[in-house]
Amino acid sequence: MPNDDETLQYTLSYRDAVDILRLVKESEQCASLEIQFGDMKLSLTRAVAREAVAQSVPRNMAAPTAAPANAPPPKASAATKGSSAGAAAALPPGCVAITAPMLGTFYRAPTPNAPPFVKPGDRVKSGDTVGLIEVMKLFTPITSGVAGRVVQILVEDSMLVEHGQALVALEPD
Amino acid sequence: MAAITRVFVANRGEIAVRIIRACQALRIETVIGVSEADRESLGARMADRAICIGPAAAGQSYLRPEILVHAARGTGCQAVHPGYGFLSERAVFQRKCTEAGLVFIGPTAEAIESMGDKLSAIRLAREAGVPVVPGSAELNSEAEVRSAAAKIGYPCLLKASAGGGGRGMRIVRSEGELAAAFSSARAEAGAAFGDPTVYLEKFIENARHIEIQVIGDLHGNICHLFERDCSVQRRHQKLIEEAPSPGLPPARRAEMAEAALALARNVRYSGAGTVEFVYDSDQDRFYFLEMNTRIQVEHPVTEMITGVDLVQEQLRVAMGEPLSFRQPDLRIRGHAIECRINAENPRSGFAPSPGRVSQWSAPDHPGLRLDTHCHEGYFVPPYYDSMIAKLIAWGEDRGEAVARMLGALAEFRITGIHTTIPLHSEVIAHPAFREGRVTTRWLENEFLPAWGEGAKLAP
Repeated sequence: MPNDDETLQYTLSYRDAVDILRLVKESEQCASLEIQFGDMKLSLTRAVAREAVAQSVPRNMAAPTAAPANAPPPKASAATKGSSAGAAAALPPGCVAITAPMLGTFYRAPTPNAPPFVKPGDRVKSGDTVGLIEVMKLFTPITSGVAGRVVQILVEDSMLVEHGQALVALEPD
Repeated sequence: MAAITRVFVANRGEIAVRIIRACQALRIETVIGVSEADRESLGARMADRAICIGPAAAGQSYLRPEILVHAARGTGCQAVHPGYGFLSERAVFQRKCTEAGLVFIGPTAEAIESMGDKLSAIRLAREAGVPVVPGSAELNSEAEVRSAAAKIGYPCLLKASAGGGGRGMRIVRSEGELAAAFSSARAEAGAAFGDPTVYLEKFIENARHIEIQVIGDLHGNICHLFERDCSVQRRHQKLIEEAPSPGLPPARRAEMAEAALALARNVRYSGAGTVEFVYDSDQDRFYFLEMNTRIQVEHPVTEMITGVDLVQEQLRVAMGEPLSFRQPDLRIRGHAIECRINAENPRSGFAPSPGRVSQWSAPDHPGLRLDTHCHEGYFVPPYYDSMIAKLIAWGEDRGEAVARMLGALAEFRITGIHTTIPLHSEVIAHPAFREGRVTTRWLENEFLPAWGEGAKLAP
């Protein structure tokens, strides 16, 4: 690998972006992806509805990235067009949802390297924090209104969530 | 030049639809932020993506700059169109957008601040040699109001310094009315704008509301697109607008346009804006009122007589392109009239009439334009303003526009909710309107009292 940056002449075409999105979409494990070369940065986060949605990175508010310009239309599926993600998320049977009290970026853990507040199988009491929502660097704890067992985290970490979107599926006691 | 491929629509209703259409024409993607009440709205269905920004109450959704900026960034938009109303003239929103790396589709925060604050705007107008209505500085006590009123003379008008849309305004006809008017104007201004500051100005008895549309780009070009006459008003809310004005001498039009351009140039204005004047038809004089630093509700009448798409032009300006025309390219062609159709019952004190639209059958003929977010089955929510459509009629001359509008109003069928269509039909057909003699107080002082009597006599 040459490490002389000046000799590298990468450009990201629309076709490349589509290919990357397809690979992310087909992957079972990949939830988010960041590619950076030169001043070009592509940042992807996978949405719950199994769509790859191009997003800028909210934690790094400083530089607007060039990524959105190369991304496909924000809503690929006509079926979900216009309706909210909150309404689309299906809950496992016997579960209730803890929903987002506001639009913002959802975080599962208090800091990037800390363990998540909750994971599937954990027991929570009413009032326990299950995540954070950040808007303009202001973090609001998301708390459970009931006691129960966490069945599923419905949203990926660092994802933009809508007002009212289901975040955590909980089996109440 | 900033490439804009995706625009965030920070508004609702017909203007959201209007913005989405303009973006589609320029092959720009759209993301709309919707409240819970607007999830199924036409704007939400037309946009490439809709994202829920909060509960129905505007204070928790459409009026939250930080939420809207976060949503715009998080959905990969490069620009934000604020529409009109809501946050469109809030410098703080402009700044938050800019700080987040988003292009605010509108003027600079400095221009919003200097022209948006009425007292600062009036000071700038005076400096630019633009005539202003004789008035006072900010008034904070009854004694100050009393001495200012003595200087200006009765009748005079108390106005909110941060205001618009007629809220916080009171006519004071004699010294005896002053104390009550001052306290109620302050209370209303405080409640509506979070700032109770008021000032006083001369009250013009026979006034026409005439405004000049301007648009500037980022290269120092600025043009005017002639005037709109918005004299048919109720409680300082415009009901019918037209272009050109039926009661403005051409010499005055040219002076007004020059005054508007001088003001706009002084603040290096970019984007679409409107300079509002009051025209004293008895004296044939005009005075600067205020500047609106956004696209206006009534922009379609200007589009109809000039052939310019103002919203597309706003988008091009935001992308750094020069204006697509020069002043000599612009001509007035024909005449256009707009009726703001509201979900209100004009026969019952204009009571709001939200609810389900059971039938919606709109006229569609050459020379007509309908800007709306409504359709059959739409539920008009009770949380926002009551405007449901703007019907615009164009004609080769004013007579033809009037005839076309009357035909369209007669054909328009909306059931399930009350609308102001019956009122519009009668106003447009009225001799005073046909002859172009209406002033800003004509509807309230002459037309409505007589109309109310007519309703009582009807079987």
